[in-house]
Amino acid sequence: MESESDAESLSSDEELQIALQRGLLKPGLNLEVKPPKNSINDREGLKQALNELHNGLSWIERMDVTVDPMPPPGPLMDQLGEKPDDLSGDAVHDDFKREMKFHRQAQAAVLEGIPKLHTLGIHTKRPEDYFAEMAKSDDHMKKIREKLLAKELAMERSEKAKKMRELRKYGKKVQQEVLQKRQKEKREMAEAIKKYRKGGKQDKLDFLEDRPQRKQENVHKQVFQPGRKRELKNKKYGFGGQKKRSKYNTRESASDMSDFSVRKHSMTPARLKKTKPGNKNKRPGKMRRMKNKNKKH
Amino acid sequence: MAKKRKQSEISSKSRKTVEPEILKATRISDEPVVKKVKWTNKNRVLIFSSRGISFRDRHLMKDFRQMMPHSKAETKMDRKDKLLIVNEISEMKNCQKCIFFEAKKKKDLYMWVANTPRGPSAKFLVENVHTMMELKMTGNCLKGSRPLLSFDKEFDMFAHWALLKELFIQVFSTPQYHPKSQPFIDHVFNFSIADDKIWFRNYQIVEENAELAEIGPRLVLNPIRIFQGSFGGPTLYQNPSYVSPNEKRAMMKRAKGNKYINKIHVKKAQEEKRLEKRYNGDPTDDVFKTH
Repeated sequence: MESESDAESLSSDEELQIALQRGLLKPGLNLEVKPPKNSINDREGLKQALNELHNGLSWIERMDVTVDPMPPPGPLMDQLGEKPDDLSGDAVHDDFKREMKFHRQAQAAVLEGIPKLHTLGIHTKRPEDYFAEMAKSDDHMKKIREKLLAKELAMERSEKAKKMRELRKYGKKVQQEVLQKRQKEKREMAEAIKKYRKGGKQDKLDFLEDRPQRKQENVHKQVFQPGRKRELKNKKYGFGGQKKRSKYNTRESASDMSDFSVRKHSMTPARLKKTKPGNKNKRPGKMRRMKNKNKKH
Repeated sequence: MAKKRKQSEISSKSRKTVEPEILKATRISDEPVVKKVKWTNKNRVLIFSSRGISFRDRHLMKDFRQMMPHSKAETKMDRKDKLLIVNEISEMKNCQKCIFFEAKKKKDLYMWVANTPRGPSAKFLVENVHTMMELKMTGNCLKGSRPLLSFDKEFDMFAHWALLKELFIQVFSTPQYHPKSQPFIDHVFNFSIADDKIWFRNYQIVEENAELAEIGPRLVLNPIRIFQGSFGGPTLYQNPSYVSPNEKRAMMKRAKGNKYINKIHVKKAQEEKRLEKRYNGDPTDDVFKTH
């Protein structure tokens, strides 16, 4: 028994090794696939049920089309890979590929079904002045439109930010170049002066003749404008001015007695309790009641 | 000059042409009532669910009711009731087809599609539900317009797919001249097979040169079984690759548990290895040890 089981396990090991060599198995976690449960596939029964189900209605009552998906348009060819219609294996989880296949299938169905309806003399298009209740309400469609717009706006903004970032990078580079150039000019000028001093008086100092005009662009200093995020933060947390001593007491704040209530502080707590707003409609005392009674009569 | 006709002759002739058909004063009581003959296919579909259905699934059901003007609604069925009762309910509602959503554990949704009195019927697990209410689908169509049904070629390759196709055609196609339907065709129901499952999509026909926009809902139907009868009877087909959601969850849990056990095993193995390691000293040191 043992030898048999050993032989079996050996053979299965060998099989596994061969499979690994051929590249059928990949290193990592390999789950053992269980043989399918007692699956039933009664083809005869299925065919019979199908025959019984047929009710012989004309095509116009059913309007079904069985089609292959249309070939993908040219620009999408390279995105969809070699087999755009093949959804076996991991390709099912490729959302774009899968949805494109369904979309193309529906397109093929439209291209086959609509002409068929036209040949049967059935109008498919809705006239523009025909109004009826739609599957989605106007409110819902408005929401969808707003969402689309918001998405577009966000995309635009992010693209703009990206562009700005790149521009800034480029600007830095340009500035460095400018600095280097200036330094180089300075060095050259110093050298020229040295030469002049040494006595080669015949060569002129050409920089004295044509002094480079200061560039007009640099005169206008760029006004710094904070970004959108900074602006929002300034609005929220405040910007500018000293915050250090703003909470100190001053003469004005110390002499401010506006929230001091004389009434509250001049009465004893017991009396205060009596004059609570809840006690207003209390029955007057006996003496007062008697007096009132006398007045009335 | 032509001879003039007599006035009386002309008037009698013209009067003859105008003369309307004289209706009978009374009608025989046995005479059958004249019907509107156009709407002949009186196929109706009952769409309802069991209790304990989640909000998203309820919205899905609502979407189907809205898209199918030939559908009828019913109150939710108690979970205790036997499924065969559905047949009686649909008979009472004059329906020949039925879509029944069965919710289990408040998270799993099963969908029955049945030809009610006689069968066949099929049970599916509904996965990846997106309803029409979601904002990402931009299409729209008339409320009761009749759909074009588009099927994958794979539906004709196997017997079980062919049966499901016929069932879907009869359930989802709106009868012509249905009083609640619209006379224009502006959307497509798309059924495709991928990964042994049926993927349902609904597209609006924006232009007839096949410009489409998706309306929703979206769902994936994973077939479980096909029965000969309606809501029961002998099984004609059982999907071998179907794994129930309960089993899936159990597997996930087990995988999590195994993670911990694996960690412990690794630790143990490391400790054992550490014990084996020795410093290389002089092997003759131990020779004269007596105890």
